[in-house]
Amino acid sequence: MSEDNQLFEKICNDLVELKDTSELMMDLAYSALLLNSRQLAEEVLELEDWMDMLHTEFEILVLSAKDGTQEVKGLLGLIRMGVVMERIADAAAEIAEVVLRSGEPHPVLTMVIQGAEETVERLVVSESSSLVGKTLREAKIPDETGMWVLVVRRGDRWVRPRPYTVIQAGDIIVASGYVEGEEDLKKLTSGKE
Amino acid sequence: MSEVERVEYTPVSVRETLIMMKDISELMIDLAYSAALFNNRGLAEEVIELERRMDALVYVLNMNLMLAARDKEDAESLAGVAKVGSLTNNISDAAADIAGIVLNNIGIHPIVREVFQRTEEHLARVSISENSILAGKTVEDMDLAAEIGVDIIAVRRGRHWMINPEKEIVMPEDVLVARGTAEGIDKLGRAARGESKDLV
Repeated sequence: MSEDNQLFEKICNDLVELKDTSELMMDLAYSALLLNSRQLAEEVLELEDWMDMLHTEFEILVLSAKDGTQEVKGLLGLIRMGVVMERIADAAAEIAEVVLRSGEPHPVLTMVIQGAEETVERLVVSESSSLVGKTLREAKIPDETGMWVLVVRRGDRWVRPRPYTVIQAGDIIVASGYVEGEEDLKKLTSGKE
Repeated sequence: MSEVERVEYTPVSVRETLIMMKDISELMIDLAYSAALFNNRGLAEEVIELERRMDALVYVLNMNLMLAARDKEDAESLAGVAKVGSLTNNISDAAADIAGIVLNNIGIHPIVREVFQRTEEHLARVSISENSILAGKTVEDMDLAAEIGVDIIAVRRGRHWMINPEKEIVMPEDVLVARGTAEGIDKLGRAARGESKDLV
């Protein structure tokens, strides 16, 4: 692989990471607001530090790409893309700060994210749960329980729930939905049906 | 210089308005990334249009919040609501900046296409063929989110864009802009081209 290719590979990797992280931060920030969770909010702020580092590294890489002048505009486009992702991350961090700043967020904020009469649950997936080893699409949690998975905690990492995310024993599922679904989800995650 | 409109007070539900703002800001990000990926001015212009709507919404939201505060306690907690409102607006500003990259002909580096192949969510354009099972259905009825994990964020018919479609009936020759997993997008593509008679 030539030196140029290696550089573009790194730029590409960083931009992928910037985009995915900025989106994860938005999901977490809104979840923090919904749950009034300081822990989640602090997680967002930690990601923001990581985002800042990554963004600086990305900009330096792009600036060091020694392309001909006809490519300069394209490189500027990349820099601006990075700036936008960083701004989205900043907005997420500030939403997290709203959670950390206030004792109790205004009820309207939680209502924005969840409809009325909804609840939020954190549940640990036990070894004996039928969910273990299934992707979220296969698990059909919304169909089975009416609960919507907001985010999954795996060890010390947060995972964005995607249709192809495979559920593991020990995962903590954070889900919101109607109160009636809570019991169903508890049965599903505990494996005691 | 673009026109700046005067915004008049209208009584609205703070909750509904904030939900609308959050949805629009998320839609704008998807549209803006699509505009960049496909280097498409039409989509970029839609983003700018939504940005104008957002700007007006923030004003109306703030007016309603000001009238809602009766005492110190209200002011303290409503300040957080105003802050979240202004932050969703920041996100829409960021989306408008991506649209600006396209509209100002700054140029989309080939890396961008590669990046969108590797991110968790993929964006794609598919055109509907005459014999597609999707032709004649509304976007809502296709229920693609539940079936294959794909969202339709826009439909283009001729020169006209329909943004965040629900009740619109998809016709042959329409172009759908979709977001989803690689696998889901692949299934959508096959159904759109008429190659499969079944989504799953």
